[in-house]
Amino acid sequence: MTTDRGTVRSLDDPNIFVETPATIFDAVPPYPPRTEREAEFYHLRDGEMLLNLGPQHPSTHGVLRVVLKVDGERVTDLDPVLGYLHRGVEKICENGDWHQAISNCDPLEYVASMFSEAMPVLAAEKLLDLQVPRRAEYIRVLCWELNRIASHGLFMGWLALDLGGLTPLLYGFIERDTIVEMMAALTGQRMLFNYLRIGGVNRDLNHDFLSRLGDWMGKAAVELENEAKLLNENEIFVRRTKGMGTLDREAALRLCVTGPNLRAAGVPYDVRRAHPYSVYPELDFDIPTREEGDSYARYLLRIDEIRESIRIIDQCLHEMPDGPIMAKIPRLIRIPPGRAFISVESPRGQYSCYAMSDGSDQPFRLRLHDPSYFTLQAVGHLLPGNLIADSMAVMASLDPIMGGIDK
Amino acid sequence: MSVITRPWNRLSLAGKIILPLFLLLVLLTVLLIAGWQIGVIPGLIEIVADLVRSNIDIFRFIGTATVTLLITIPVAFVIIYMEMKVIAFLASRIGPNRIGPWGTLSSVFHGFKVLAKEDFTPTGADAAVFTMAPIITYLSSVLTLLVIPFAPGLVGLDMNIGLLYFFAVSGLTVVGLLTAGWSSFNKYSLIGGLRAAAQIVSYELPLLLAPVGIIMLAGTLSLNQIVIKQAGWFWDWYVFQQPLAFIVFFIAATAEGNRTPFDLTEADSEIVAGFATEYSGMRFGFFFFAEYVNVFILSALTVVLFFGGWNSPINAQEVLNFLHIGSLTPNLDISTLGIWLLWILVFGVPIILLLIALPLWLLKSSWSFVKSLIVAFVLFNVLAVAAFMVWAFLSFEVVVGLIWFLAKVFTFVFIFVWMRGTLPRVRIDQLMGFAWKWLVEIALLNVFITAGAILLLQELNR
Repeated sequence: MTTDRGTVRSLDDPNIFVETPATIFDAVPPYPPRTEREAEFYHLRDGEMLLNLGPQHPSTHGVLRVVLKVDGERVTDLDPVLGYLHRGVEKICENGDWHQAISNCDPLEYVASMFSEAMPVLAAEKLLDLQVPRRAEYIRVLCWELNRIASHGLFMGWLALDLGGLTPLLYGFIERDTIVEMMAALTGQRMLFNYLRIGGVNRDLNHDFLSRLGDWMGKAAVELENEAKLLNENEIFVRRTKGMGTLDREAALRLCVTGPNLRAAGVPYDVRRAHPYSVYPELDFDIPTREEGDSYARYLLRIDEIRESIRIIDQCLHEMPDGPIMAKIPRLIRIPPGRAFISVESPRGQYSCYAMSDGSDQPFRLRLHDPSYFTLQAVGHLLPGNLIADSMAVMASLDPIMGGIDK
Repeated sequence: MSVITRPWNRLSLAGKIILPLFLLLVLLTVLLIAGWQIGVIPGLIEIVADLVRSNIDIFRFIGTATVTLLITIPVAFVIIYMEMKVIAFLASRIGPNRIGPWGTLSSVFHGFKVLAKEDFTPTGADAAVFTMAPIITYLSSVLTLLVIPFAPGLVGLDMNIGLLYFFAVSGLTVVGLLTAGWSSFNKYSLIGGLRAAAQIVSYELPLLLAPVGIIMLAGTLSLNQIVIKQAGWFWDWYVFQQPLAFIVFFIAATAEGNRTPFDLTEADSEIVAGFATEYSGMRFGFFFFAEYVNVFILSALTVVLFFGGWNSPINAQEVLNFLHIGSLTPNLDISTLGIWLLWILVFGVPIILLLIALPLWLLKSSWSFVKSLIVAFVLFNVLAVAAFMVWAFLSFEVVVGLIWFLAKVFTFVFIFVWMRGTLPRVRIDQLMGFAWKWLVEIALLNVFITAGAILLLQELNR
């Protein structure tokens, strides 16, 4: 293939590494620019260099590839390249029945998969107009909030790791591992739970789970404070995050950013309060917000959210009624024709699903709205002008998960 | 044949190694005794001694160079193990615990692993420069060991410009890192190399300016003389006369050694591994070794300049004079004890045994009294031998000095490791700003204050 940069041969050519080593490792795509933006981006001015960040890079949190245009250490422009983790989950879901869609949606948000697996479940329940038993609802809320803590706990560690601190990651992992083991006692899996069912949940709470949960709840608040003490007032950490990657209110709203990133910019939008689902209206919890919108605010906000989640779990355990955990529905469900839109508040924002049914036992269409994808759009808005080191910190503080972005 | 092969096959791997070594040892002993009896060995020794005596300078040079190079290997292994274990404890993990007792041999096996790995040169790399870079880095750290006084008389070369030599040679590190970054044909390496150049050149300035006060106080550039000037009690160490200089020096040394929070040259979350991204095998091993040897050397220099080198914190002579004791090593002539020796053996030993056995018996409810007595006897023997060894060692000034020096140095190595486990990384502009806006100014201020104080004292004493 011939471009304005010379002839570029196929990667399968065995002689490629001998003949054109310089061009083949370049970040420039081996085809002529398709859009004006691409032409402008890949045209280098004096002193600029393209730096290929990913897809195999320690701190892109998955297989994200970002082509950075750098002038020395300063990032002048960037081009995120998506699709390295694309599996066509939405299409796969259309070829299986509704129950299979649950386990297909599981690995989308692989750090908090209880939320992505809720998508087909809640959509089908809405189409069926099904009343889920109250005990099942409470168990779901319990699992969601536990999963939110696990996800945010991991976030605290990852942010520190991307800033060069080794230890907080492992403390974050202690917390996460306790919860994940607890969930494994309940669901049988550590990461991809496959626990929710249309009309309820898979199994009732068992002794193993409850004893682990009780042990953990006794010390959760104290351990959270200890963990927060590692970083919150660390001078280097504060200087690296305060005022960095400031996402203001208007930009966040325009970019459709939701979740903690939006609340850190001062918008108290939380699906659990704005469009209540499950038993959240009956529970007493606050929506923490912060005004600054920078990396530090996003970090502190997630710690506040962990505190609120602990409150919710406490209430769930106190108010959980006895009763069945599954609604009376047949094993093979035919969902009535129609369309449904549902959304939940995942640790990364509003996770929504738009489902269409044609009356068969398979979803006709299952479209997923992943908050990480919209968070990632903010990266292009926030990084230019920063240093390379800060681009990692800002990306980590936005906390995108590539599984849901590439689907 | 099976008479030999069957027992051999039954041996474990360790046995297969130990048995031939043991036989070899027996053979060597027999040969040595025989050779001594015949008179061959004394003659050989005489010839070798003559050779050494006539070429003492050459042998001294070869010996010093060999020891300086070889000492880096155990030092690096110890520090690597220490780093793995300390960071593991900081993160409430167990750390290496598989190879050797408590995982002590794991860093040695890391070394073997690095040796066994493929030594890869990427396409487009400048192969000659790519190979030279780790050697330059390694040698520039190792060569500085030459002037560091480990103990009284135990110094590779007592140069009268030792400090200047140290900074001149360690400044070459940046050449290695920069060429490594440039020759790797990788943008991450390039950024890492340039960061290293910027960082080390910036921090060389405060690192050089901080000891100027000490040079003025000591009146010499020789590290050995600087240590001798700090003899006495611990308040005679220069850290108490130059606290500002110590703070500046320690921060600059952290940056100079590319340690957290200034490890931007190999920031794994930003530029993968910096200048070492494309390196593998032993060429990477040299970088790895150089880094840990650097930690040791910078700690050693901190100790030498600010913490009295091999001097003990207690002025032993003054204490002995105060207590009216002539020497620390008492007379070993037991005949002076006379009949008291009998009393000590008859009553002293059983009393000490009981003193050890009783707490054991009281604490361990499952142990019978006889068992605790036996354990106490073993413990007593171990303690007695240890006490005797300590006594023997203390009578050698070199050994005492070396123990104090290494204890102080590894305290600082521990602090370096501790910082690595605790602090996040600073940003490049914060790093450079800190050097130029704060450290250089503070170091200059320190030079000014020290010079003023010296002049003032001279005026007052006149």
